[in-house]
Amino acid sequence: MADRNFEARLESAFAETPVFADADLFVLRVNDALERNWLMRRVLIGALGVVGGLIGGAQLLRSGLIDRLGAVGGAWRLVGNELTNLPVGRVFSELFGGGPSTATEVLWMSGAMAIVAVGLFVTRAMREF
Amino acid sequence: MASSLAARASAHDMDLVVLSVGGNRGAFGELIRRHGSGVRALLRRMGADPATADDLAQDAFLAAFEQIADFRGEGAFAGWIKRIAARLYIRRWRRETRMSLSLEAPEEDMNAGSGEAGANARIDLDEALKGLSPVERLCVSLCYGAGLSHAEAAAALNAPLGTVKSHVKRGLDKLKGALVAEPSLSSQERAYNG
Repeated sequence: MADRNFEARLESAFAETPVFADADLFVLRVNDALERNWLMRRVLIGALGVVGGLIGGAQLLRSGLIDRLGAVGGAWRLVGNELTNLPVGRVFSELFGGGPSTATEVLWMSGAMAIVAVGLFVTRAMREF
Repeated sequence: MASSLAARASAHDMDLVVLSVGGNRGAFGELIRRHGSGVRALLRRMGADPATADDLAQDAFLAAFEQIADFRGEGAFAGWIKRIAARLYIRRWRRETRMSLSLEAPEEDMNAGSGEAGANARIDLDEALKGLSPVERLCVSLCYGAGLSHAEAAAALNAPLGTVKSHVKRGLDKLKGALVAEPSLSSQERAYNG
């Protein structure tokens, strides 16, 4: 019985929260560490996204997709020529110009999108740091 | 802003946990404010030096934030975070000491059980714990400070249950001797200098 009383008193003593002079400092320190962790995670995810995008883009280019798109573009051009001969087609053609994209245009578009992605990442990184 | 701070300050731990699960770091900050000192004190009582205790307490809160969705509120948040901190300390302790609990020879403390230490001077728990061997101190703190059962402590320490029980028993006997003259066992009035 005495043992149990002592153990209960011991548990109460352990449960008492002592007063630390630097308690507020500790809270700030942990909050800062949390913030750093969060930031690192966001930057890492962003960087991985950019790297993944670049790798994916490179793979698409290497897989001959552009050539295939070019072939499809040629077919679309034929269809487009037929459509633009129609009265409604002429209006559309004047409105949107150009016609179907070519391989070179796709390449330029991909490059521009990659630049925009890198730009967004750099801007974000600069703001965070 | 001030009202949200006041709301946080008066909120129950479980409410703060729910907010933290939703990514509210202000709510988690309030949990740190409430339980940071308790975790730091436990780690020091387990035997960590102040700097290590603070580092581990920080790591424990970071880990807790990662796992906060796992806390279902079956027990108190204070107990949950203390168990996380205790396990982190055990991991470090085992790595640094490379000591096998089962092989460590029991030692006899000349001051144990005399009761003289507490007769004339005020001795609190923290002082009394210093009279224990590192392993006894660790086992007693795990069971009475972090709330682990003997079996859980044995599993955490990767030691036989009987060994942990004997270390706890020996530690309790020493503490009794040191604290018997201290009616309150209180250490609350003693301020840590950080």
